[in-house]
Amino acid sequence: MSETNETFTSGSSTEQQTARSRRSLYRERLDRYVLTPLRVIWNDWRTRLGTLIILFYILVGTVGVHYISEPQIGGPRLAGIFEAPGYPLGTNNLGEGLMSSLVHATPPMLKMITAGAVFATGIAVALGTVSGYKGGRVDTVLSTLIDIAMTVPGLPLIILLVVTFQPTNPFVIGIVLSINSWAGLARNIRSQVLELRDNSYIEASRIMGRSTGGIVYDDILPNIMPFVLISFVNTARAVIFGSVGLYYLGILQTPENNWGIMLNNAYSAGGALYSWDSLYWIVLPMATIVLLSFGLVLFSQGTERLFNPRIRARHAETIDETSPMEE
Amino acid sequence: MRYIVRRVGQAVITILSVIVLTFLLVRSLPGGPMDYLRAQLMQNRTGRQVSMAELQSLAREYMNLHPGEPIWVQLYYYVSSFLQGDLGQSIWFGEPVSSIIVKAAPWTLFLLTTSIILTFGIGIVLGAVMAYKEGSWFDTSSTVVSMFLNSVPYFVAALLFVYVISIQFSMLPQSGNVAPGLEASFSLTYIGSILEHAILPIASLVVTGFGGIALGMRGNAVKEIGEEYIRVAHLRGISSRRIAIRYVGRNAVLPLYTQFMISIGFMFGGSVILEQIFAYPGLGNYLLTGITARDYPLMMGIFIIITAAVVLCILFADLTYSKIDPRVSTGSGESY
Amino acid sequence: MQAETKHKFDVDDPIFEVRNASVTFDMERGESKVMDSIDIDVDRGEILGVVGESGSGKSMFASALLDAVPKPGVLSGEIQYYPEDGEPVDLLDQSESEIKEIRWEEISMVFQGAMSSFNPTMTIGDHFEETLQAHGRDISEGMEYADELLSELYLEADQVLGSYPHELSGGMKQRALLALSLLLEPEVLVMDEPTAALDLLMQRSIIELIRDIGEERDLTIVFITHDLPLVANLADRIGVLYAFEFVEVGPAYDILTDSKHPYTRALLNSTPNLDTPREEMRPIEGKSPDPVNVPAGCSYHPRCPLSDENCVQNDPPFQSDDGDTDHQAKCHYIEQTRREIPLNLQEVEYSE
Repeated sequence: MSETNETFTSGSSTEQQTARSRRSLYRERLDRYVLTPLRVIWNDWRTRLGTLIILFYILVGTVGVHYISEPQIGGPRLAGIFEAPGYPLGTNNLGEGLMSSLVHATPPMLKMITAGAVFATGIAVALGTVSGYKGGRVDTVLSTLIDIAMTVPGLPLIILLVVTFQPTNPFVIGIVLSINSWAGLARNIRSQVLELRDNSYIEASRIMGRSTGGIVYDDILPNIMPFVLISFVNTARAVIFGSVGLYYLGILQTPENNWGIMLNNAYSAGGALYSWDSLYWIVLPMATIVLLSFGLVLFSQGTERLFNPRIRARHAETIDETSPMEE
Repeated sequence: MRYIVRRVGQAVITILSVIVLTFLLVRSLPGGPMDYLRAQLMQNRTGRQVSMAELQSLAREYMNLHPGEPIWVQLYYYVSSFLQGDLGQSIWFGEPVSSIIVKAAPWTLFLLTTSIILTFGIGIVLGAVMAYKEGSWFDTSSTVVSMFLNSVPYFVAALLFVYVISIQFSMLPQSGNVAPGLEASFSLTYIGSILEHAILPIASLVVTGFGGIALGMRGNAVKEIGEEYIRVAHLRGISSRRIAIRYVGRNAVLPLYTQFMISIGFMFGGSVILEQIFAYPGLGNYLLTGITARDYPLMMGIFIIITAAVVLCILFADLTYSKIDPRVSTGSGESY
Repeated sequence: MQAETKHKFDVDDPIFEVRNASVTFDMERGESKVMDSIDIDVDRGEILGVVGESGSGKSMFASALLDAVPKPGVLSGEIQYYPEDGEPVDLLDQSESEIKEIRWEEISMVFQGAMSSFNPTMTIGDHFEETLQAHGRDISEGMEYADELLSELYLEADQVLGSYPHELSGGMKQRALLALSLLLEPEVLVMDEPTAALDLLMQRSIIELIRDIGEERDLTIVFITHDLPLVANLADRIGVLYAFEFVEVGPAYDILTDSKHPYTRALLNSTPNLDTPREEMRPIEGKSPDPVNVPAGCSYHPRCPLSDENCVQNDPPFQSDDGDTDHQAKCHYIEQTRREIPLNLQEVEYSE
């Protein structure tokens, strides 16, 4: 233990020292938790592109809806791309602009994705951590629960639930759609926690008297972050595919717009598959769906690098390689 | 041994809970099955009032429900008749649900088994080659292509296939499982027709699925290649070929196992939409019909059967996993 | 200047003659030289201890002796291998198939991580059979020999051969690895920190085993470690590595009791010992150099208490101030070293 020699320092400069060190602590925190990850994300072309795509969709869903008016019936019918003025992406058989339809379908989709992903990840982390950490009876019961959730085939169950309860709120729909995907993550988290629980540095934390919450936050969470992120992305994709599929089948109904409904309309009402002319009608929503999924996939593929501490260290600026953050 | 018992027990519990779940779901439907049944019957036999007693006997006949009795008794009747193979009568088709299932299941199984085998076969091989050529343009371009294809929902791919290949180029049939009117036999024409009709649905699943497997395999293989025992094997003089297959390949495939199990469940679920698009008379299609027609016995029966199938497949895979990966002792139970 | 001796360090019957061997890696920030123009001879049948800190290049040296430097490293220079019978062979000159016949059959290696030297999905026995097959040996004969080897190493042959790696303890795995490396009856055994992950008792017993086996089979052993006391009882000669080159080479006893290089003396002084009082424990100040940026002149000068302008400017050659050509150090001031840096060893335990 070092003893600081304070014979020559007055009280105020000690305060100054504390103030200075607190500022540097904040700066280090900012750098470690925010800036460095951002730098790593920017560095890898996959995450960079993926993040841009995702941000684009978020932008369209939040800000874009204000700039682009809602789709209205009555415009020129079945206009192709760039054919009719004011309808850059063409119109459908009712004269609704496709661009505005696509744009206005985005917010509910975003809501569904957020609700589903947050729900699934939250439950998975909670159950997985508790199950792994506690062990014993609790673990057995919870694992069985997780296994059951994992083996019941998702889509049929979701269809059943949707038909029974007919939800219309996008948040609720999002949660229902992700009812299956939390199981995989919970399992992964549980095995990770099981492994980590016996790790020496966790035992050290326990001996030092840190609270369980503290241990979970500092020692366990950073190790499961990669799984969490990947699962977040996978759930998002499952929600997208599931919602589009169900809307396409007509099982989910909503007066609002949705890419799946557009697909359905294009296929059945427009016979879009039967002629080259109306092809754009079905391809555009497809492209929208694929692009968002692609962005998510890119992002998740690239995040593996984010959690590699050596790569983080390379991009950090204020962090000295091995020092812990001063408290 | 205890592990086997535990897993089998788990599977049984799962199936039973699904049966109970569907039972409860059905009872909670708006209006309830009784009212629904009455409405249906009234539609069919116009003008005639249906007596309570008749309704009850019909309910018993169609859905194995015994209204009027306490819920536990109803559940008991339902489960026991289910386990005896009596799944009730389909309202829409007027046939016993079990015979519909027997008719439709082989087609679905055919599609799904072929799809899973192809998806994993192609994915694993591709992933291994990508890892071998890590960093090359082949690797990068395959990665992008895999990611892209993986982002396409299988039904979107199905629609596109139908559009381009069936309608525009008329190369493959658009719907059905076999050309209508053909006699079922082992003749070449019959089998050929089956294959023809199966290509597009299978392709939709495989083309959108192999990418994810390939990427996973690639990641695993790359990690394997960095392992110390690979270096030691090389120094020991083991041939590169053997290292590639027995060391890298075999060890990299093992973690894909969880994905394999998830895929089984996923594909069973996916068959619902896929069979609808292709008007393929499999379990998924009938399930969908049951749902839209509010044909509860059919709906519940198929749903339970599908779940049971998935559970059994996973159970089987789980129990045999320890044969392949010696690190997993059947005692620990922590196989994934 | 000393005269160029035909064999370095008075080695009569060299099995290895390493001349000007270097390993370089091309990195973004510069060329990294992890082995720096090494010259050394290894005597036939001896046990050579190679001692150095982590990152001093010792694993590279081990790999170099098998011409197995991991890519993208490049090994240059000359490594002459003199087999028992047959022509001397320059290892770096061999084709891929030729070197394969030398590796494991003539020169074998035991790694540090026995934990991860085996394929987790294969039994130990599979590894043995596979190796025999790859070198075209008769399997049943080979496995009989394997049984012998395992028993000598106090392992239950049937049990071990049928087990998977995760079913064995660390010590058992290390011994199994040792048996595997001896399977094809090599002449030379290169051991890279073979006992690092084991507990003290296990370490001692394995050292004993190695010594016995080495004697019985007339093996030449190159034993690489960071643990100077460990190798003290085993080695005939010791070479001290610092900054990717040898800085002192000589008979083990001489190195331990009368070392000529400041680094060696500092290393001996810093070795913890239950009897040494805490105040006398002295770590070496400073850090070992970055392979991209080795100091000019003597590589140890930034940390040496004796360094002066001469040391900064000129890289000292190997010399011995008392004429013992079998014990030399790369230092300008060997005499001062002995005076200025006393050894604080209470006693030196050395057994024949």
